[in-house]
Amino acid sequence: MALLIKSVFSFLKQPIFSSSLRVFSITKQLNLKEFQESRNGNKLIIEAVSVPSTRTDLLVRADKIQDLTPAVIDAEKPVCYLCKLGLDIKHTDVLILSQFVRSDGCMLPRRITGLCSRQQKKVGTMVSMAQKAGLMINLTPSRCKKDPKQRYGYKKFNTYFDEATIFMKKIPDQRDKFKR
Amino acid sequence: MSAAKRVQQWATFARTWHIFDCKWQDPYQSANIIKKYLMGLHKPIYHPMNDCGDVVVCINSREIALRGDDWRKRAYFHHTGYPGGASWTLAWELHNKDPTMIIKKAVYRAMKGNLQRRHTMERLFIYPGEEIPEDIKQNVSNQIRQLRLVPQRLDHIPEEEVQQYPKVMEYPPDYVLK
Repeated sequence: MALLIKSVFSFLKQPIFSSSLRVFSITKQLNLKEFQESRNGNKLIIEAVSVPSTRTDLLVRADKIQDLTPAVIDAEKPVCYLCKLGLDIKHTDVLILSQFVRSDGCMLPRRITGLCSRQQKKVGTMVSMAQKAGLMINLTPSRCKKDPKQRYGYKKFNTYFDEATIFMKKIPDQRDKFKR
Repeated sequence: MSAAKRVQQWATFARTWHIFDCKWQDPYQSANIIKKYLMGLHKPIYHPMNDCGDVVVCINSREIALRGDDWRKRAYFHHTGYPGGASWTLAWELHNKDPTMIIKKAVYRAMKGNLQRRHTMERLFIYPGEEIPEDIKQNVSNQIRQLRLVPQRLDHIPEEEVQQYPKVMEYPPDYVLK
């Protein structure tokens, strides 16, 4: 009996909910978009306007550069565009790192950056290093005071980071060298 | 002795005054550099019994940079000598109290503990900011190269340069700008 009721419910559920979840779109879907608010009398219009990407002309790709010595790449693993370029990026290179963040300074997910998992972790850690060092203070949430000197406690002093620690399993403790 | 040789003699044994800008420098790494100039190890005439050390003026010691989580992990030990007189001060607490102390202690520790050390330390001048007394400024004739590049903040780079900088990442076609 219970089985019968269950099957009836699932049969009823299917057309109702599946139809409500279906996405209809009138505008062209695959485009870089920007939300724009405009006010027409009492009406507030919020629309997603498709905009051309400003980055397309300035884009650097390894296959477009002549006489680039190819970076040493392990053929087993998937290769991304950043691996191919073979750049030695530091956490102080804010002009590069700021391309991978949102306007609130948050690292973009991998489905948007299109990096391999190793580079995603590396860039993500370097973004947080740059944020902790206060180098990308204009790309922070709105509640931030936008001045590293106004931070609380130890955070207000200058800090630098070692990029070699990104892929360390355990960062060695300085006190361990006194252990027997 | 000819006049030229006499001048060479003066120049060899004269104390040179060096300036070092501590802005965004690791105090423990730069202490090894400062130590060399203070003790005169960079001179070919160096000998431990030969008083040939130079004077070093450190400026911007408030702006030093420590690595990783060193500000809250590194502790400075002090003991008054009385029972229960031990105290541990974290690096950021010490820097709040005296912004010259960390670089001073770093240079002091970088040198070997002998009777000469305290006299060598007398030749080190540390200032928390950029202002130094005029009589000291007049003597300075050399600048010690910094170890680390001073990083540039993104909001200090002109907006146009940020826009025109070559881009590595391209947004996917269906990305909504935030």
